[in-house]
Amino acid sequence: MRAYRALARATARSALTYRLNLLLGLGTVFVQLVALLAVWRVILAQSSVNGFTWPQMRVYLLVAFAAGTVVSAFGDFRMAFRILDGDVALDLVKPVDYQKARFAETIGGLWIEVLLIGVVVGVTLAVTGGVRTPAGPALALFVVSMLLLVPLKFLIVYGSTLLCFWTQNFIGVQWARLAVMNLLSGALIPLAYLPGWLATVAQWSPFAGLTSTPALIFLGRVDVRHGLTLVAVQLGWVLLLWFGARLMWRAGLRRLTVNGG
Amino acid sequence: MPIVEARALTKVFRRPDKGPGLAGSVKHLFARRFQDKVAVDHIDLSIEAGEAVAYVGPNGAGKSTTVKLLSGILVPTEGEVRIDGLHPQRDRMTVAHRIGVLFGQRTQLWWDLPVRESLAVLRDLYGVDHATYRKRLARFDEVLELGEILPVIGRKLSLGQRMRADLAAALIHGPRVVYLDEPTIGLDLAVKDRVREFFRSIRDEGTTVMLTSHDLADIEGFCRRLVIIDEGRIIFDGDLEAVKDRFARERILHVETARPVPLETLRASLPGAQVTVEESEVRYAVRFDRFIMTAGQAVTALAGLTDLVDFRVDEPSIEDVIRRVYSGELVLDETGPRR
Amino acid sequence: MRTARLYLRLLGAHFRALLEYEADFLILALATVLMQVVNLVFLAALFARVPVLNGWTFWSMVLMFGTVTLAEGVGSLFFEGMWNLAWQINRGELDYFLVRPYPVALQSSSAAVGINGLSNIVVGGLMIGTGLAHVDVVWTPWRVALGVLLLISSVVIKLSISLATNAASFWLSSPTPLFAFAMHQVGDLARFPLSIYPMALKAVLGVALPFAFISFFPVAYLLDTGQSRWVGLLTPLVAAYCAGTAAFIFKRGLRRYESAGN
Repeated sequence: MRAYRALARATARSALTYRLNLLLGLGTVFVQLVALLAVWRVILAQSSVNGFTWPQMRVYLLVAFAAGTVVSAFGDFRMAFRILDGDVALDLVKPVDYQKARFAETIGGLWIEVLLIGVVVGVTLAVTGGVRTPAGPALALFVVSMLLLVPLKFLIVYGSTLLCFWTQNFIGVQWARLAVMNLLSGALIPLAYLPGWLATVAQWSPFAGLTSTPALIFLGRVDVRHGLTLVAVQLGWVLLLWFGARLMWRAGLRRLTVNGG
Repeated sequence: MPIVEARALTKVFRRPDKGPGLAGSVKHLFARRFQDKVAVDHIDLSIEAGEAVAYVGPNGAGKSTTVKLLSGILVPTEGEVRIDGLHPQRDRMTVAHRIGVLFGQRTQLWWDLPVRESLAVLRDLYGVDHATYRKRLARFDEVLELGEILPVIGRKLSLGQRMRADLAAALIHGPRVVYLDEPTIGLDLAVKDRVREFFRSIRDEGTTVMLTSHDLADIEGFCRRLVIIDEGRIIFDGDLEAVKDRFARERILHVETARPVPLETLRASLPGAQVTVEESEVRYAVRFDRFIMTAGQAVTALAGLTDLVDFRVDEPSIEDVIRRVYSGELVLDETGPRR
Repeated sequence: MRTARLYLRLLGAHFRALLEYEADFLILALATVLMQVVNLVFLAALFARVPVLNGWTFWSMVLMFGTVTLAEGVGSLFFEGMWNLAWQINRGELDYFLVRPYPVALQSSSAAVGINGLSNIVVGGLMIGTGLAHVDVVWTPWRVALGVLLLISSVVIKLSISLATNAASFWLSSPTPLFAFAMHQVGDLARFPLSIYPMALKAVLGVALPFAFISFFPVAYLLDTGQSRWVGLLTPLVAAYCAGTAAFIFKRGLRRYESAGN
């Protein structure tokens, strides 16, 4: 455990060095926030659509922004290059579990992302007006959901990076992941707007936990019972992906050693 | 008319004077402070067609900067450059056809293309016709043995292969002037020899060559003219052989005698020379000025004293001379040496 | 003419090298298609509930997105090397560009091929095609010619902004095109009708960095949608202005170039 704490602290300290990646990652999410805010402000000016009012949509988009910013900057590029170069074999000699080590680094880098979210959300609320926080139980559930979002997103990013064992093209995989995540998480548009079958697929996919779940809970669009189910789905995916990523890692390493890295 | 001419050529680099880290960068945004570094300081240089010029100087003396100014890569802060009477920036396209540049540290080959393809792209870029191209390639092949590396992808070339290919790339359009900046850096001896032979072949064809090198062996036997730069200024510009004559006056005669001879005896028989004992007491070193006595005279004088087992004469290389110039031991000027 | 032929020659060399990695191409193509599909699903879902957004219908929005996608595709496929300029400057690769008898900016932009541009051109073209098929425009020869001119102009604007923002690397010392990339991201705002934004953003996207002339203004003119339609007619002039400014900035940058290793 001490080794992982040390890794997390090291990333926390060097977080500023990676501010470049951070800004680039944040830029895309931020631009999307601005564009969608403008679009929905016009659309919802007169009446609500699909039960979403303008103040609700505003909060929804801010949660989407926060969820999109968390775990966006750390590790994936470096890890991809280490896999592509075969250097990842060198990491194996360290007496730590690879997956846990990367997760520890992700945790270490969180603070700066949280800071940025705080600034952007704060400024947006100051400009467009305040927000009503949900009642106690829903708020607690929201917090749990946001916390689960961290390992969930980490695992999705980590898993897609592991694909580098099989393909040389990291960028392509990355783009595809971002596109799918954007749509199926509800970051681009609330899942309720999607055609029924797609909404169902998205709801049960691991991606819903990346935006839709915490946002709906915060808005009170689901009751606490339903919210609990959604958070349980989030948790289920975290566990499933955690062990799934381990299997992938093992298969990837086997492939690396077979090919001689 | 000289083919390369520089008048009062000066380049000042302006470096932001930043504090360390993010804080320094932010502070710099508000209070911009700069530090000026004069890399090339009022250089006058003129090179005639067909000359082979060695351009040497210690690290950071301004060699590469001069080459970049003379090839139009950098815009001078002050002064001007003319290539064949043309302005390197204003007439960039025309000048580009007349010059070839090689930076030993950097390749101009396309990293994802085979050498053959890189050269063909350059051929088309410079508009060299196919017959001429084939003829040049065949000629380069004779000395550089390009054949084996033509199918190799740029990024897979070894350093020696890369340099050979880059030389071909720099000369494929038959430039009238070639700047070679550290063309043998990092090469092993066999490749160096081949590359040097290539220099001679292009010089003999009448190409004007300006060669910058750390390895002074590149220069000996190739360049007739030597230009030395230090701290951005030219401190010597003249004939290479004359420098050797003037500065390499000292000879060292190493002798081994059958029996020990007292130093005083030796010194008495060799007035004007310095005699010292080397590693054993039968080995001596005799330093003398070759304008005062010849090696033959020295040997004869010693042979009259005792039996000589062995002897050898060392003459200092141009490398020694230049090293002494760098270190400030020697001051060169057109009139002759001062010590 | 010679310049254009040589440009294709330079690009073609890389293109052949790229074709050796088929799998790479497929993944990139799939990813870019997927990104556009996501965009379309988003638009479809949005317009399933609201018929118009400030006068813009689903198909006119598809037309707008398609134009941006096409312009970006042309940029990636033919001019991807621009995005390497920061790197080329930092590594001193520009040294060799400067001693070759070919425009430096074109040597830089031809230094890479973004194969994903191919799928963006195809998908963008399809979006424009289907978009046009579903909108109500009376096609006279004059209108067709104008449409082509507007499309070419919007591509030129896209390329000019890319070149100008990347040329900022001559002043910034970063080895990555951070500034250009940030501006590119800002440009994504112009996928939506400019009229939805507050005044400050309108000024940025319409004047300072005229991304809105890539699709919003010309499409608005062509479809007779929204207010101030005539602005779209300025697109060719804006294109000429952008190209001139980009060339000027690049030239100024070159004079400032200090090469590497000093």
